[in-house]
Amino acid sequence: MKNKKQTTFKVVWTVFFLMLSVVFFMPLLWMLSSSFKTSPQIFESPFRWFTDRLHWENYVEIWTSEDFPFLRLYGNSLYVSIASVAGQIIISSMAAYAFSIVDFKGRNFFFMLFLVTMMIPGQVLLIPRYVLFRGIGIYNTLWSIILPHFFSISSIFLFRQFYLSFPRELLEAAKIDGAGHFYIWSRILLPLTRNVMISLAVLGFINTWNEYLNPLIFLANKKLFTVTLGIRWYTTNTARDYNLMLAAASSAIIPVVILYGVAQDYFEQGITKSGIKG
Amino acid sequence: MRQKRETLVGYAFLAPALVIFFALVAFPICMSIYLSFTKWNFLSGWSGISWIGLDNFKRLFTRDRSFKVALINTFVYAVSIVPITVFMALLLAHAFNGNIFCKKYFRFAFFIPYISNMVALGSIFRFLFQLDGPINEILRNVFHLAESELPNWLADNSLCRIPIICVMIYSGLGYCLLIYTAAIKDISEDLYEASAIDGASPLRQFFSITVPLISPTTFYLLIVRMINVFQIFSAINIINTTGRSGGNVSLVLLIYNEAFQHYNFGYASAEAWVLVAIILAVTAVQMWGQKKWVNY
Repeated sequence: MKNKKQTTFKVVWTVFFLMLSVVFFMPLLWMLSSSFKTSPQIFESPFRWFTDRLHWENYVEIWTSEDFPFLRLYGNSLYVSIASVAGQIIISSMAAYAFSIVDFKGRNFFFMLFLVTMMIPGQVLLIPRYVLFRGIGIYNTLWSIILPHFFSISSIFLFRQFYLSFPRELLEAAKIDGAGHFYIWSRILLPLTRNVMISLAVLGFINTWNEYLNPLIFLANKKLFTVTLGIRWYTTNTARDYNLMLAAASSAIIPVVILYGVAQDYFEQGITKSGIKG
Repeated sequence: MRQKRETLVGYAFLAPALVIFFALVAFPICMSIYLSFTKWNFLSGWSGISWIGLDNFKRLFTRDRSFKVALINTFVYAVSIVPITVFMALLLAHAFNGNIFCKKYFRFAFFIPYISNMVALGSIFRFLFQLDGPINEILRNVFHLAESELPNWLADNSLCRIPIICVMIYSGLGYCLLIYTAAIKDISEDLYEASAIDGASPLRQFFSITVPLISPTTFYLLIVRMINVFQIFSAINIINTTGRSGGNVSLVLLIYNEAFQHYNFGYASAEAWVLVAIILAVTAVQMWGQKKWVNY
């Protein structure tokens, strides 16, 4: 009897929150639905979720447009995100290895130095980086977006935590067998901390994919624009072509949602363990 | 001999990170400090730099009206967005911890805005709040507001912060929810079971078990989200773009405009260091308050 009452309660609660989640989704659902309409249909009253048919031509237009084709924007964003993540993971795990396994003079000094600078928000770095990038000639190249990602104190920190908790006996045994540091890092630690790497990779990818301020400042050539700058262009520069703007927004959000859906567990692990903000 | 080798290996592993750190973090920080005491328009070249001491900061706090507006706005955003987001997340996390199906789906659903592109969300919200957009459509059809009474969310000086606040709450909720969910999982099941036997309602459980035991997480989230909101940029930049950069500008937006629209690098650096000071102050409060207010 009591059990039955509890189950009913559970079902009612679940249905309530399902409805709440639909309300929460409303802006995104509206975006998706409107991205398949013509511009006049978006303003139609009364509102309809589905009109005569799905207007795929919005997507065709933004993916193949002459000025800002999403095909190219996607290519740029993918290139930037993958290069950033790969570099960040390799460089951070190497640094973390030095900070946790290798015993050398100056190690604590540099670790503290890194931690102190972590508190300083990135906005103060923008102007000097701009001057520097113009000076060394990577302003207005994709490298101006990629390079800053190669140093990530939170990734170093997270890797270090994992390396420190790694059983020392295993490492000692490898050393006795004649393994050098490079061998231990690349053949033992990296494969065994695969989950951390995937978590960080997923987080880093989404982070870079959504990045706005840096591309806005460092990229001037429209051939190099990333997806985010593309949406900005469709939002601000077209006269009331809201269908295109919403198709652009959908094109930016959908792959990230799919990636998140596939890698939800890694993702949640990464966020709760590291507290990295996206 | 062996120690020397270890040192060499240590620096070899550290080298790539160190190079990037010195070039793209340490050097820029020093340069930025220097620039904040100078007057330099980038377009005038290196020779245009002139040392003016504290004049930038004096001007910021005495004569600059738009800086004052941005400062006030930034605080308005912090005290509106952060508590609402954190409180809503706490309620949801408590509910999702209880008797409910599809927990994983709920975490998924509420998290999506957080990973969505802020510029995309910004353009959606900008459209939702537009004069002939869906929100006003609802006001007109459901609440029967006359055409002339419809609020102009984006242009009206007293209302233009509302779309920004909405989009920030919308995107930040999932993150807080996720952190809370992980923290609530650590609270012992027994407490809830024992209190249920004693006849505690879910509401009572929420206030007497969840809220006090989770206070360290609440405190952490308040600080982290506040620091995040102090750096608010994308949403405002995208929602404002065509109009005037009106009553809702934030500090970072001001820095961006000063630096990359007008190229006043000296003055913009000074503005950036005021932002740093504010964020460091909040971080200090965090370190101090963690000992005092939090109920472990």
